[in-house]
Parts: sequence; C-alpha cells; structure tokens
Amino acid sequence: MNAKIEGRGLGKTYISTRTGERVQALNNVSFTIAPNEFVSIVGPSGCGKSTLLSLVAGFSAPTTGEILVDGVAVSAPDPRRGVMFQDYALFPWRTVMGNVEFGPMARGVGAGERRASAQRYIEMVGLAGFESRFPHELSGGMRQRCALARLLANEPQVWLMDEPLAAVDLQTRNILQDELLRLWGDDAVAASRRAVMFVTHGIDEAVYLSDRVIVLGRRPGQIKEVVTIDLPRPRRALRNSAAAGRYVDHIWNLIRDEAAQAIVEETH
Amino acid sequence: MTSAQRQWLPVPVFAAILIVWESGVRHSGQLTLYPSPAGVAAAALRTLGDGSLLAATSGSLYRVLLGFVIGALLGIPLGLLMALWQPVNRAMSPIIDSLRSIAPIAWIPMALLWLGIRGNAALFIVAYAAFFPFVLNTVEAVRQIDRKLINAASALGAGRMLILRSVIMPGAFPIILTGARISLAFAWGSIIAAELAMGIKVTAGGSAAVGLGQLMVSTLYIRRDVNGLVLYMIVIGLISWLIDALMRRLQRTLTPWRQQ
Repeated sequence: MNAKIEGRGLGKTYISTRTGERVQALNNVSFTIAPNEFVSIVGPSGCGKSTLLSLVAGFSAPTTGEILVDGVAVSAPDPRRGVMFQDYALFPWRTVMGNVEFGPMARGVGAGERRASAQRYIEMVGLAGFESRFPHELSGGMRQRCALARLLANEPQVWLMDEPLAAVDLQTRNILQDELLRLWGDDAVAASRRAVMFVTHGIDEAVYLSDRVIVLGRRPGQIKEVVTIDLPRPRRALRNSAAAGRYVDHIWNLIRDEAAQAIVEETH
Repeated sequence: MTSAQRQWLPVPVFAAILIVWESGVRHSGQLTLYPSPAGVAAAALRTLGDGSLLAATSGSLYRVLLGFVIGALLGIPLGLLMALWQPVNRAMSPIIDSLRSIAPIAWIPMALLWLGIRGNAALFIVAYAAFFPFVLNTVEAVRQIDRKLINAASALGAGRMLILRSVIMPGAFPIILTGARISLAFAWGSIIAAELAMGIKVTAGGSAAVGLGQLMVSTLYIRRDVNGLVLYMIVIGLISWLIDALMRRLQRTLTPWRQQ
C-alpha cells in the first residue's frame, strides 16, 4: 500500500510539568494511513492519542521513531497538513472571515482571491451570513464549523482532527458527523477524499466515520488492535445498524478494563 | 423604600454634610485654617476665571501623557523581548525586579539633581512610574497566550513574523491595555508628588511649565489658601477617576472579542 502518512516505531517521553516525573506517553507505535482513508484513533484517557496527533502535525518531535508524509520525514508544522483542535483554537480577535482566510493569507494568496475562496468555504460549512461575527458570538457547533472551514480553506491533503466534536451536544454532534462525511466525500468517488486522522473518545463515532480504527492501550500508549470497518459508504443509513453495533462492542471490549482503571487513576 | 429613593439617598445626606461643614467652619472663626464648601466653590470660580486651574491641569496632564508614552515605547518592546527570548529574560528580570521596588518618588532628589526643576525631572519620574507596569504586563500577556493558537497559526502556514504580528501581538493586547491602565494611574499619582517636590522654586522663578502640584505648593506657601488646596485635591481625584473610566472604555472598544 502506498501510504500518505506512516508512523514508524513512535515513542514519546516527556517530563510532567505537574509532578516532575518522566511519563512515557507512547511506546513503539507504527501505523499507516492511505491517501483517501479515514482513520480514527480511540483509546482510554491517557493513552496518548492526542500526543500522537501532535507528532503527526509536527508540533512536537517524537522521542523515538519517525513520521513520514509522502515518504518525507515530518520536522515542523506544514499547511499541507491541516489541524482541527479540540476547542477549535479559533483566533478570538478575528472574525469568521478573518479566521477562515488566515491560512491562504499566511501562504501569500492575494486579498481578493483569498476572500473569494474563504467565502466559498464559509458557505460550504453553512456559516453564510456570519462572516463578520467574532468566535465568542457563535455557538459551539458554529465555532466547530468555522474551524472546519479554516482547515478546508488551505486545501490540505491531510486532515488531522483532535476530538473536534467533543465539545458539542449529542444532536449537534450527529449532524456535524454527517456534514464532515459529506465534505470529506463519503458519497463521492474515493479519489476525491483526503487522508484523515481523527482522534476521538467516541467509539460509535469512530466506527460510523472511519475506514479503520486504531485502538490504543494506555501506560504507555501502544496499539492494541487495528479494526477495519467494513461498512459500505455512504453510511447515513448505517448509523444505528447491527453491523456497526458489533464493531462498537468489539472495540469497547478491548478498552473497557483500561478505561475503568483510567477513571480511578485520574482521581489521584 | 423604592429603588429610586434608595438611589437618590446620598443626595440629602451629602447636602446635610455640606451644611454642617459650612456652619462648623464659620463658627470656628478660623477661616484661613479650615476650608469650607463656599470657599472651595469661590476658589473654583476664581481659578477657572483667571485660567490658572486649566493651565495647571493641562500642564500636569501633558507631562503625564508624554511620560506614559515614553514608558510604553520602552516598556512594551522590552517586555516582548523578555517574554520571547529566554536570555533577555534571564538577564533583565532581576534588574527589573529590584528597580521596580524603588518607589518612583524616591527618585525625585536624583531626578532634580540630574534634570533640574524645569519639568524634565517630573517627566522622568512619570516615565519611570509608567515603565514597570508596561514591562510586567507585557511579559505576563505573552506568557498567557494559548499555545494552541500559535500551533494553529503555524499549521496554517504562518512563519515566525506572522505569528508575532497576528497571534502574539493581538493575543497580548488586552493584558497590555490593563497594564496601560495601571501605568496611567501610577503616572498620575507620581506627577503630583514630583511637582509638589519641585514646585516652589519654579513658581518663585516665575518660569517653566506649571502643574497642579506646583500650584498646590504656591497656594500653600504664598497664597495660604486652604480652599484652593481642597479644590486641587478634588480636581486630582476627578482626573484619576476620568482617566480610569476612559481607559476602561478604551479597553472595551479596542478589544471587542473580550466581551464575554
């Protein structure tokens, strides 16, 4: 397989700022993501899934191993790898338009052209009419859409998403999942899709969205199993199907004990 | 009592205090020692009429604003350098910390010695007072910027200069403005002290820019006008209040994204 993203023997150790102890967040994690593939990372709290994403983004360097994108080692953030953050990380002093056109501006696209393309993406995510609002004037779901438009405006080949739907209510989340799939190309030809690395707590969400789900265990974070979700696309009708449910059960059985342990340890 | 009544309650109480104060001073017969409301009002009319109050107030305000701008121009860049560049921080922060514990007014004798009494000494004191809140708040402002915003900008393709210009500067701006409010309050507090300390000679010489502090000195030693002193105290308080109200207003209009 011709991988878009490849992680080779990734390990990450850091010094906890709270306790001063050495924490091994990841140990020997190897994986690949194909150019048109949607891959989710799930696992209990503290399994290092967000750490893994920030390594691929280039925000920090792995302690061991390396990440290759198109066969080239990652050393720094790159606009070809778009990132969506858990709490969106929108620039609070920029309007919706200002946020969405930031990427093209940073890449040196002229004002007229980047306005027009930003406008297109704002309309695509359903934020038309809110161009001059500031993020604090938007609901959680609208902020999420703004962050998505900001990512899309750079037309990256890789989408790195760190629990992007964690902060919205359940109904909004279901709607946004469907919109995300539509924008990714769930009902289009596979060649139009991007490589997605999607970190989430929600096992059902991971199953519903993904081609494959990487299940991580904790302390240290390592791959327990990679589950291929063999459900046809588009998936809209399969959200609550028995087949999807079986995948959810299988993955939940893999991480249940560690998830329970994580609850206890986090209270200490 | 209705809320409207409660709101107006201070008015009769204040009026009663004024009446008791006025009659108390008249009965004492010591009109040169104790100020009275009528005397203060008369002093206000007189100093407004001959323009001396306005001239002194604008003289002090001018020096405060000039010192404030100097403090900002030196303090903000130094704060940015300290926050963004560890070696600068390590070199400068012990110096800043020890200097800022010396009250600005403690510099007055040195400032008089070096810069004389023609207003430059007062300017120095005010700039010194304004400088430290700018440095400290700029350092703190940059430190408090969400790391994720910097990551987001670099993932969108921003280089170091763009991150400085479009993430660090606007991100730090609200707290720097808070620093500016403190700086201006400090500066206004110190200008009066500085002018008090150097005022008499200037007035005796009959030259140089006169400020409220200098006017107070001449009012005390030459005119012996207690009512005038109280008037200037009231003006000083009013201006403090006005400055703070203006700065709060400025904060709201300049950083609309902060209104949660």
